[in-house]
Amino acid sequence: MATTSLSMTSREVNGSAMAALLGGGIGAFAMGAVVLLNEAGLFAAPTLYAPAGGVSGRTTLATIVWLMAWAILHNRWKGREIAPGRIGAATLILIAVGVLGTFPPVWALL
Amino acid sequence: MLFSERSIWTMVHGIGLGGGALIGLAAALFYLYAARSSDGAAALPGSRALAGATVLSAVLLWLTVIVGTYVIFPPYRVTPPAGVTDLSEFPRALVLASPSTAWLHSFAMESKEHMPWIASMLTTAVAFIAVRYRSRVLQNSSLRSLSMALLAISFALVAFVSLMGMFVNKVAPLD
Repeated sequence: MATTSLSMTSREVNGSAMAALLGGGIGAFAMGAVVLLNEAGLFAAPTLYAPAGGVSGRTTLATIVWLMAWAILHNRWKGREIAPGRIGAATLILIAVGVLGTFPPVWALL
Repeated sequence: MLFSERSIWTMVHGIGLGGGALIGLAAALFYLYAARSSDGAAALPGSRALAGATVLSAVLLWLTVIVGTYVIFPPYRVTPPAGVTDLSEFPRALVLASPSTAWLHSFAMESKEHMPWIASMLTTAVAFIAVRYRSRVLQNSSLRSLSMALLAISFALVAFVSLMGMFVNKVAPLD
């Protein structure tokens, strides 16, 4: 019974949704950052599958960062009501920066 | 044989999985757009369909990027042995051999390597929200707007890399 009411409460507040959204933004940013660092020669993620090359390590690393960020945010926010304005803005900014980081013409600016 | 194994994988990747994801994303965006004037409604039909469309899109996108990275990309990037003059079996070397097609690797394929992974993450986030919150996604304007924004970005990214993939495959197909 206690579990049911806790579950209903966590579904009534928006914390889990905000965690998923911001987690997605962090994942996008991580992808862009890993690619930019690689292109700048500052950090190279280890190749996990040689036939695919470095992309296997970069995408896996960014995916792990995304899942970890989402899990941490979810645990902290799942029972809370979070103001969507700032989280939405931060998410969209992180996505924009992340997408730019994966856009090859940007690499030429490094 | 009409199609080689590599050609079939390319079609599964681009048409089956990627194309299916684009259709799913378009359907989910339509659900969210159509529900925009229903603020405050007690219960909205279609929340289950929205959850289904977003989950299907997320699954198809993850399959697309995994097949693309680990099945399609390796034969694309194989370096031809020294002395080989027919580069038709080596797509990356083929497009890089001519200045007029080199952009198909340096811009098109380089974009395809990472961008769709972002689309997979964003679509998964919205799928989670659609499953967990069901009709609240359609009723709550801020949640609906943010979900629509992420799906629209995913759709744009997938459409862009799909177009790039078509260009690459037109010039240097994996046969």
